[in-house]
Amino acid sequence: MKRRSLTLPINRVEGDLEISVDISNNVVVKAQVAGTMFRGFEQMMSGRGLLDGLVITPRICGICSTSHLYAAALALDQLHQAEVPDNAIRMRNLTHIAEHIQSDLRHVILMFAVDFAHPSYNKRSFFAEAERCYTPLQGESAISTIKATRQVLEIVAIIGGQWPHSSFMVPGGIVSTPNSADLRKCRQLLEEVVHWYEKQILGGPLSEWQKLKTADELKSWCVDPAHKEGDLARIIRIAEDLQLDRGEATHGFISGGALPLPATEMSNSRSHLFGAGHWQAGRLKDLDLSRISEQLTSSYYRSNSGALDSLFLDKTIPDAEKEKAYSWVKSPRYADQPVETSPLAELLCAGHPLICSWIAEKGVSPLARELARLLRPAELLPAALRWIKETNPKDSFYIEPAPCEAGRGLGIVQASRGMLGHWLEVRDGLIDNYQMITPTSWNASPRDERGMAGPMEQALLGARVDNPDHPLELGHIVRSFDPCLVCAVHSLHKGNRNTLRLGA
Amino acid sequence: MALLNIESPHLPDLCRTLDIELLWHPSLSNSSAQEHLALLDRLRSCEQQLDILCVEGFVINGPNDSGRYDLFWNRPKKDLLLELAPLAQHLVAVGTCAAFGGVGNIGEIEASGLQFIAAEKGGLLGADFVAAGGYPVINLPGCPTHPSVVADLLTNLVDGDPLELNDLQAPQQWFDMLIHQGCLRNEYHEFRIEERQFGEPGCLFFHRGCRGPLTSGPCNKLLWNQRSSKTNVGVPCVGCTSPDFPQAYPFFETRNIADIPLELPAGVDRAHYLAYKGMAAAAAPERLKKRKKLP
Repeated sequence: MKRRSLTLPINRVEGDLEISVDISNNVVVKAQVAGTMFRGFEQMMSGRGLLDGLVITPRICGICSTSHLYAAALALDQLHQAEVPDNAIRMRNLTHIAEHIQSDLRHVILMFAVDFAHPSYNKRSFFAEAERCYTPLQGESAISTIKATRQVLEIVAIIGGQWPHSSFMVPGGIVSTPNSADLRKCRQLLEEVVHWYEKQILGGPLSEWQKLKTADELKSWCVDPAHKEGDLARIIRIAEDLQLDRGEATHGFISGGALPLPATEMSNSRSHLFGAGHWQAGRLKDLDLSRISEQLTSSYYRSNSGALDSLFLDKTIPDAEKEKAYSWVKSPRYADQPVETSPLAELLCAGHPLICSWIAEKGVSPLARELARLLRPAELLPAALRWIKETNPKDSFYIEPAPCEAGRGLGIVQASRGMLGHWLEVRDGLIDNYQMITPTSWNASPRDERGMAGPMEQALLGARVDNPDHPLELGHIVRSFDPCLVCAVHSLHKGNRNTLRLGA
Repeated sequence: MALLNIESPHLPDLCRTLDIELLWHPSLSNSSAQEHLALLDRLRSCEQQLDILCVEGFVINGPNDSGRYDLFWNRPKKDLLLELAPLAQHLVAVGTCAAFGGVGNIGEIEASGLQFIAAEKGGLLGADFVAAGGYPVINLPGCPTHPSVVADLLTNLVDGDPLELNDLQAPQQWFDMLIHQGCLRNEYHEFRIEERQFGEPGCLFFHRGCRGPLTSGPCNKLLWNQRSSKTNVGVPCVGCTSPDFPQAYPFFETRNIADIPLELPAGVDRAHYLAYKGMAAAAAPERLKKRKKLP
């Protein structure tokens, strides 16, 4: 039996990630996923001003800064028991959607599909097409995606001043007061993006796409000559050729609920556009936030409380020499189980018919994760257009909350990569403690005290590697989680943290 | 990611028209780990020329100056930086963290910038470092750096035109101006009509902690995403291009003495400012007092 060990740094993820695998007879038999950088975000927050999370946490990440801002604002809303006007909820959601569309499509086209254009695949039948579409900074789809995602972000600037790293959401609403001309411009930009998305990604009209409910109907869509040139059909074709649709042994999935509804749309049964939930093997249950815990067995941290029963009180203490530790990522667990959170989790927990049908038939796979990102904009774009239309600029965007000197607030959002939580504890008008659990903490978590591997580690187990010198398969699997290590290790600063080398 | 937002030309066209070969970028390259290591070897042996090395993020020196908080192939990444810096014709610190340490300065990770720690020269490479092309580390502060500033600097360096740097080693063209310049709330500032509640038309400097009159950078000249800026929509400038960013005291609040900010606009004399602002408030026209003018 031929067995060998590999350690590989993985690029095209946000931040610093290394995977170590043991390969036996071309199959991964052991996998470790490690965040290799610590930047100590949580300690930075203690003693800072009450609103400082709105300025500092967005800067953790250059790709999902609006998600951090939103979570920070929700934690402050809860602390203040603030009333948030519907206009503000709509504008927060609109900007969040703009960021999601940017993140989903940049990830799929620029960071995932780009691997299909790697020279190692030059003997495969799809290579010419992949090279034409996905070559870095040159492929047709890549250039088109750069232009369209740049445009959708103009919406965040109109409402929030800039993307990334604005601080326009505050407890009680948003600081800006967009007028009807601003809203019209947002609508026009979005309508152009819808047109682009139909042509470039779906390969057909949104109104037709929305009729698809099953995996079989999706298959028919993809082979229809009218839709074949869309990136969605192309990526499914290539991924199936590479067997990236092969099901993995599955863990559970969680979603914190995406995009809170304005009061006019709220009902007893519905509080978010995509409801929260915990999905396990086809069964959906309510999410119970009290069942979240963080374990530190394999992480380079000590806990000062010993017990992790309260995230509000837990402090982060780094220890680079800790025995048995191998990652700067912690191990969050739900009901003591490793779970995945992602756009796929979001749609599964919301009962999205097409995604549920696909998973029931084919199981969880790298392709399933990418598919969820490719089709999520089809749900988000109409909601964003509706919320623009419903916003009346004469109504309030902000209601000043009563002052608050002490207390707790929890903000949960579905960031582009999955569930993100900010736990805030305030004393004497200053931040006493700030804890965050990011999507990649869940997905890239190391082993816990019972030795249970994190979701990404589980997905790698059993993977086939044709050439251990160029284990492209492992890159596909890891990147399908769209890992954001800068967030997971609570580091600070924009995503592309490494060096950019340019040379003639 | 902000760099992907430049337009006219967009990033792919910029690289094409300047004939820049992007050797490696953590988010955009599709080279494998082995190819990346081989590239580093070619750079070390000078087989591959390195014209411009752009670095983002602060240098992590901790714990105890070991650099173990930030590893690449089990080696401190700061060692890789020390290796590559002398090989590059031009070394560019993109962002406040790479330039001055930024947010890293308030943590426990012993962060630094490439050639500064906050406003003090030194950092990883030392005060005397000069790259092969004749410039010290070129700082492009901002969180993030405005993408047009990055694009312009690359163009400037490729063209080989002279580059004027200020005391903080940032291009004078973009950083010898204030965020305040071009802010749509300027008239409110002139006549001292203050914003006291979010969303109200008014100047953010007196109570909302706006750093615009104290912070250098082109936000309101270039605008963001071709559309707007934080101060224009009512978000106070947080001073993200400054070497002391993030400030030690709370954001969204102005520290005042006798209702006048403790820190005045850059270079302004306190006594004169008091007299001027008193008169300006008295001279304010009704349309501003009634906050009829939209920012």
